[in-house]
Amino acid sequence: MTITSIFRILKTSLLSMWRNRWLSLAATLIMVLTLFTISFFLTLLIVSDKTTESLKSKVDISVYFNDSTSKDQIYALQNLLLSRSDIKSVEYISKEDALSLWRERNRDNEKLRNAISESDNPLPRSLEIKADKPENLEAVNTFLNSSDYKPLIREISYKKSKDIIDKMVRLTSLTKKVGWGVSALFILISVLIIYNTIRLTIYIRGEEIAIMKLVGASDFYIQGPFLFDGASYGIIGAVLTSVIFFIFNRISQPAVFNYLEIGNYSNYLSQYGFNNFGIILLFQIIVGLILGITCSVFAIKKHLK
Amino acid sequence: MSDVNLKSKENIQNSNAQQSQNLPKKEGGDSNVIEFENVSKIYQKDIKAVENVSFKISIGEFISLVGPSGAGKSTLIRLLTAEEKPTSGRIYVAGRDITQLKKNELPFYHRKVGVIFQDFKLLPRKTIYENVAFALEVADATNDEIADKVPKIIEIVGLTGRINAMTEELSGGEKQRVSIARALVHNPKLLIADEPTGNLDPVSTWEIIELLFKINRQGTIVLLASHDKEVVDTLERRVISMREGKIISDQEKGKYIL
Repeated sequence: MTITSIFRILKTSLLSMWRNRWLSLAATLIMVLTLFTISFFLTLLIVSDKTTESLKSKVDISVYFNDSTSKDQIYALQNLLLSRSDIKSVEYISKEDALSLWRERNRDNEKLRNAISESDNPLPRSLEIKADKPENLEAVNTFLNSSDYKPLIREISYKKSKDIIDKMVRLTSLTKKVGWGVSALFILISVLIIYNTIRLTIYIRGEEIAIMKLVGASDFYIQGPFLFDGASYGIIGAVLTSVIFFIFNRISQPAVFNYLEIGNYSNYLSQYGFNNFGIILLFQIIVGLILGITCSVFAIKKHLK
Repeated sequence: MSDVNLKSKENIQNSNAQQSQNLPKKEGGDSNVIEFENVSKIYQKDIKAVENVSFKISIGEFISLVGPSGAGKSTLIRLLTAEEKPTSGRIYVAGRDITQLKKNELPFYHRKVGVIFQDFKLLPRKTIYENVAFALEVADATNDEIADKVPKIIEIVGLTGRINAMTEELSGGEKQRVSIARALVHNPKLLIADEPTGNLDPVSTWEIIELLFKINRQGTIVLLASHDKEVVDTLERRVISMREGKIISDQEKGKYIL
């Protein structure tokens, strides 16, 4: 297998792909679709996972007190909580603090902002509790729900957060399933199309192959071009997908992260190389090559022997 | 027919006339290069394409294989090129039993046996040079070897002036000459011609036969399967006649038996 021989089969393969360019285009296109789908769902998966994780870590318990509860009682509770090993921090939010937060959150909405004034502030005082691990929040929640503290407390916000997280987890799991399903479907379709394309090409070049056998061509020259066909669909598809996916990422990331109000996702995704064109390209090429060459090998085995 | 047109035929006749004065003595079994030993090829439903055929071929022979359609000539040729395996019997070529050839050995055998056909089997949209070079390319010859060999072979078949003409621009006779050139690239000891003149006019027919004759005189065994009575008779060489799968005659200076 010399460089010259490789050039020869390359030439043959490229010439036949050009001669049957619509066929080649279809195969390449389906490869692009498949690779893009796989990449897209991988992204979704990573974002979902990270969101869940992030939410979990952000979750804390907010304990809202009745107006009748005294400051001492609140401080006592605060100290008690701080003495627990599973709690990281407990912050006291006074009525004034609560009002500031309210104004801050509704800075874009004047009506809401002015709905509450200093003189008539219904916002409750609260303790913002952060646990060291999200798993331990359950225990804290139970503690707070015990009869000792029930009369003091107006509301514990834990359940709401938990619900959100549970929803996120289910969403992530659903995304995973849908992602696998759709990706598998696309892989199946592309396998069928590429296999068939190569089979068609074998048929079209039938006369040439017969002449090759007549003059005693080695298997390398007979089968080589078709292997290269499959690899080409993989590589060209990969390059196209990379470009599209890279642009897609650049455009959608800022918009999505704005909407989700999460700032540092770029970091997470960069970790996985999603903002590195080189890594995207490498991944696509590997998957594309595996898909393309596998189809070739099977088509050759079945129709060229 | 005027003498000018069938010069090739005359050349053959003259050559034969000269040679008969000093015919070399045929050697014994040592120089048997090809041997069919009780070979039969039976397809399903008892179709006996070739039945119990035996013969030997020595170096330098020119053999015409004749017989009506369906006599088994093409099957015999396919057995000889190892395209098919016999149902029974053995075939020896240069001392090797080709019925035992493994799959990966076949390409090398095919390079040693040149074959030309009635329909030429050239690559479309390629030049003469490319067609001949093709046979060398797929046999891993270097570009230098190709550049060296191809023009020489094209000269042997007399097509140097047309070396860059495309297949589609060639006449029937020229196409057949290209096929012959391609068949010669690996210096085969055996050249098989399966009805090579079936699609050719009389003048081209004789030109091709003369070319085969020339190649044979330079040492290559030529096996010519033909329907052409006149050609066979003019050649004055060995004739193997087949009918219904069997050899009915094998004569040294044979004539076409109807």
